Amino acid sequence: MSTTHRSPEAVATRGRSGMVAAQVVSEIRRTARVPEYFIGVVVLPVILFAMFGLPNSGETLPGGTTVVAMIFVSFACYGVVSQALFSFGAELAAERLQGWLRRLRSTPMPMWVYFAGKLALNLVFTLVIVGGIALLAALAGDARFDASRLATTTAVLLLGTLVFSPMGSAIAYWARPRAASTIVNLVFLPLSFLSGFFFPLSQLPTVLQGVAPWLPTYHFGQLAWSSMAPAADREIFGAGDETSIAVSLVVVLAWGAACTVATAAGYRRELDRERG
Amino acid sequence: MPQTVVRTSGLRKTYGAVDAVAGIDLEVKEGEVVAVLGPNGAGKTTTIEMLLGLRTPTSGVVEVFGADPLAVRHRVGAMLQDTDAPESLTVAEIVGLVGSYYPYRLPTPLVLERADLVAQARMRVTQLSGGQRARLSFGLAIVGDPDLLYLDEPTASLDVGARRGFWTQVSGLTDLGKTILFSTHNLAEADAVAERIVVIARGRVIHDGTPQQIKALVAGRTLRLTTDAPLSSVRDLPGVRNVHEADGLPGSRPITIQAATAEPVLHALFASPYEVRDLIVAEASLEEAFVQLTSVGPDVAEENRR
Repeated sequence: MSTTHRSPEAVATRGRSGMVAAQVVSEIRRTARVPEYFIGVVVLPVILFAMFGLPNSGETLPGGTTVVAMIFVSFACYGVVSQALFSFGAELAAERLQGWLRRLRSTPMPMWVYFAGKLALNLVFTLVIVGGIALLAALAGDARFDASRLATTTAVLLLGTLVFSPMGSAIAYWARPRAASTIVNLVFLPLSFLSGFFFPLSQLPTVLQGVAPWLPTYHFGQLAWSSMAPAADREIFGAGDETSIAVSLVVVLAWGAACTVATAAGYRRELDRERG
Repeated sequence: MPQTVVRTSGLRKTYGAVDAVAGIDLEVKEGEVVAVLGPNGAGKTTTIEMLLGLRTPTSGVVEVFGADPLAVRHRVGAMLQDTDAPESLTVAEIVGLVGSYYPYRLPTPLVLERADLVAQARMRVTQLSGGQRARLSFGLAIVGDPDLLYLDEPTASLDVGARRGFWTQVSGLTDLGKTILFSTHNLAEADAVAERIVVIARGRVIHDGTPQQIKALVAGRTLRLTTDAPLSSVRDLPGVRNVHEADGLPGSRPITIQAATAEPVLHALFASPYEVRDLIVAEASLEEAFVQLTSVGPDVAEENRR
């Protein structure tokens, strides 16, 4: 082993934690400089909630949950899924088209750091979306949140960010890069619609209601609504169903695991192709 | 005794039926400055990519610091020809980000100074010229204070003044004992900068020596003449290194002979029964001789016919 020839000016870095921190800061800067992304992914769910949620102000379900609180959950779920698919799906696919990701492979950065940076930013933005909608609901919609239920719901929404981000990256790695953005749109709108994020499931045609339980986003919605309201309120609101919470939790986690495996396989495939 | 930093043996990369790298044996010692010299398509970039672990060899061995290239990335910096960088970050931010990936790093202001990018620190990549992008690429190669630096055609997009500044910075690194392997297709540059030149053509090492040895090899005379002598007999004349014919027609046709000296060749030619006319003898320029040395000459064409 040969000796190292340290430059006198060289300084030690903070290792892995420093890498992750630098990656997160870069993601924040990048996003802050592309306001279209921030508006489309973070601000839009808040605006949609203001348009469709706030007019229900004053209505309360028999169990004490306000309708505004239920719609808060709907649009927060929509925001979570939309962000996960757009940042990990469309954005990552666009980055794959550029040579930078390949160039990073000649550096000692492990690739997980890159994904961790993106995921950390998504978690922060989830809190911004949830906080923005919750604040609007409380101040302008008289949502009268129960603090512990709101905390549980927020935890579920963060879990959703962790679970659906791999779905985005799986699309990014398996779709043709130029098609990824279109595919994300094609996937994400029906998913949100059929899972009851735009209006309650009970208002959907019966055929589509039958499709819903086959969708991972539907089960994510079930977890989120059930953390906000008791079963009776969910049923009257139109979000209730016979599926148990345990089943929904298993489906959501399994979906996240499957998408993680698909992402890893897609990443591996790209690596082999590049090195081939 | 300096340690071996880079070692390849029988290194080969095949794309379909094409051998991009056709069996390269190379050893680079600690502190050496080695030029890999060859024409475009000789396999320089593919070789460097295999040394970096960015490509998997079809066969053969690569060792960097005695280990797999991927295991020693923290000691290696690379300036690749691909100059992509995140478009929404500034030059200084990109340098800072990449610096965080290494166990030791140079401060960003110092890197910007060495890469001559102080004035561009707050610019985005999209605002940079080709030469500035190449300098950013150099900055990213040195920010991790690597012991081994690969530079793939580093000066291709730099103007003359920038080249001088660039090589001054590189010599500062060699003074620290760092090992440098760079590729170029410019013999004069390899001569000026490297202490050892490895000439590769068609995916093979065809010469490996000091700049003096390589220059002696290619210096000489160029003879242009029209003759009906067969190529094989011309090639056997004393001191002949290389023969090119303009076309493959039988009978008298113009040919070009590369030779160490002109006189023995001319003596032999005039003593032969063949026709010799339109004779021009010129001093071979280094570049011309180098092109002759590395281009696909009639020897290869003949091998294919056999």
